[in-house]
Amino acid sequence: MNKTLVRNLLALQALSWIIGGSLPAQDMPLEEVLIEGQGWELVGEGYKFTEGPACDPSGRLYFTDPPGDTIYRLGEDGKPEVFAKDAGRPGGMMFGPGGRLYCTQGAKRRIVAYDAAGQIEVIASDVRSNDLVVTGRGGVYFTDPRAKRIWFVDPEGKKKVVDEGIERPNGIILWPDQGTLVVADTNTANLWTFRIENDGRLSHKQPYYTLRLTRSHAPKSGADGMTVDRDGRLYVATHAGVQVFDTQGRISGVIARPQTTFLSNLVFAGNGMQTLYATSSDKVFRRKTKVRGLLFTSPGKPPSKP
Amino acid sequence: MRYSTALVILLLLTSPASAGDEQYVLGADSKRKDGTPVGEVTRHSHKSEIFPGTERDYWIYVPAQYDGSAPAAVMVFQDGKWYVNEKGQFRATVVFDNLIHSGEMPITIGIFINPGVVPAAKKGAKARRNRSFEYDTLSDQYVRFLVEELIPAVAKDYKLTRDPKMRAIAGISSGGICAFTAAWERPDYFHKVVSHVGSFTNIRGGHVYPSIIRKTERKDIRVFLQDGANDLDNLHGNWPLANNQMAAALKFSKYDFGFVFGEGGHNGRHGGAILPDTLRWLWRDWKPQSGKEEAGKGGKKP
Repeated sequence: MNKTLVRNLLALQALSWIIGGSLPAQDMPLEEVLIEGQGWELVGEGYKFTEGPACDPSGRLYFTDPPGDTIYRLGEDGKPEVFAKDAGRPGGMMFGPGGRLYCTQGAKRRIVAYDAAGQIEVIASDVRSNDLVVTGRGGVYFTDPRAKRIWFVDPEGKKKVVDEGIERPNGIILWPDQGTLVVADTNTANLWTFRIENDGRLSHKQPYYTLRLTRSHAPKSGADGMTVDRDGRLYVATHAGVQVFDTQGRISGVIARPQTTFLSNLVFAGNGMQTLYATSSDKVFRRKTKVRGLLFTSPGKPPSKP
Repeated sequence: MRYSTALVILLLLTSPASAGDEQYVLGADSKRKDGTPVGEVTRHSHKSEIFPGTERDYWIYVPAQYDGSAPAAVMVFQDGKWYVNEKGQFRATVVFDNLIHSGEMPITIGIFINPGVVPAAKKGAKARRNRSFEYDTLSDQYVRFLVEELIPAVAKDYKLTRDPKMRAIAGISSGGICAFTAAWERPDYFHKVVSHVGSFTNIRGGHVYPSIIRKTERKDIRVFLQDGANDLDNLHGNWPLANNQMAAALKFSKYDFGFVFGEGGHNGRHGGAILPDTLRWLWRDWKPQSGKEEAGKGGKKP
């Protein structure tokens, strides 16, 4: 068999894939995420209400107890320890550029950022907020469920309302390349997607993801906190469980809740960001997965797959 | 030499055509015939309001016989690039040329539409691919996009029919369920449906159609379904079972339908090979004076 023949056959094969081949499936079944035999395990308990899980650049988990007015993190021994007390009813959190921990403060009506020494900078004041996401350029999007608003604070600190009208905007997250924003609506079956314009404004709003509902809560999904993995799957905490979606907005499946009480939020953390952490009422849980989360701490492309 | 041979064997083994597909080959009506007039295909692009921010390409096929003196029939294809490709599995424009020339289908303007994407503003960021949202969702949003936006854009330059019986819609995979949904939502607009390896599975809830068809007053639509025993079985569902359920429901509710179930996989080989016969069946009574006795007798195979 000569080289030309091989080359022609290769070209023919490529052509058959392009014009005559099977249709691209690109399915992302749950088996690509879950590890057989690995379930939820308890990380900590005894809290009033857990929320705001966040992963620092070293993979360490932080979370909040809003009614307990405290931010916790996992210590060297893997057990939760206090990071900040009297934290102004802290809610949603995320690490941003420079390794700073951004946090909503419900009681103080502020968005703040903690540096490594625990010093606070006020990012926005006189705002109600629930959850936030920080872009690699240092912009902050946050939700105000009561006013049905999404706010944007640009890297210079100027804030503006960038969307209004979602029934109860709650969790908020970026796609891995930070070109698309997703907002969860607790009161409906919709997760809304937006294109992020270069100045931070939002456009082309679409209910791209449709959630599974439970009979007892419908039409409310209970959609709350969200996270994404490096392949672009989206994970959202809901009444039905952790709903997982593929990159085309199609539901991949539902991961069982760690306990039957309210599931508020999710994040990938730990070594390689392969552990999914879940905040649920009085407890925090985790389970190992086959996928990896990512940080939004730089504006460039997310790290490529290991 | 040994390496090359191994490589070729490997490529043949990983060929996407699954077992059962090889038997389906294109016939004479899918190939150019001497003396048959060739229609004109032009490429266009469209920005949508109904799917905000989406951009897409589409192609318009105008048969050589169209002269604008009378309204043309309309046939819409989802995933237009696959159907309009003259070297692809369907070669729909070649089949159109042949069947229009032989009078077996009306003078038909073909509209071959790609799914939309919302490009990201950020450089290098991924576009939001809208295919699944547009095709798999059980709503009237896609057919509104066709009826209110895209077909009127085509009608600016061509005289198109106003008769639902002269409008058909086709698609493959998610485009197949999309074609069905368009006619199901607007039977007053689309009468004829062709689905190739249609995704009547739970991608976005489409698995419920068989039971809905059984419990809904019959609509005046004509449906052709093609599927194969080696089609997909995945997290969304089982395509062979789903298409058999669809056919059974259409039969139960006495629809004018056709179902060809072969041995192919999730591709257009079988659907493409039988496209000429499918279109003959679909348009069998397009001439007002003929075919009246055939209409309404469900389950006829082409």
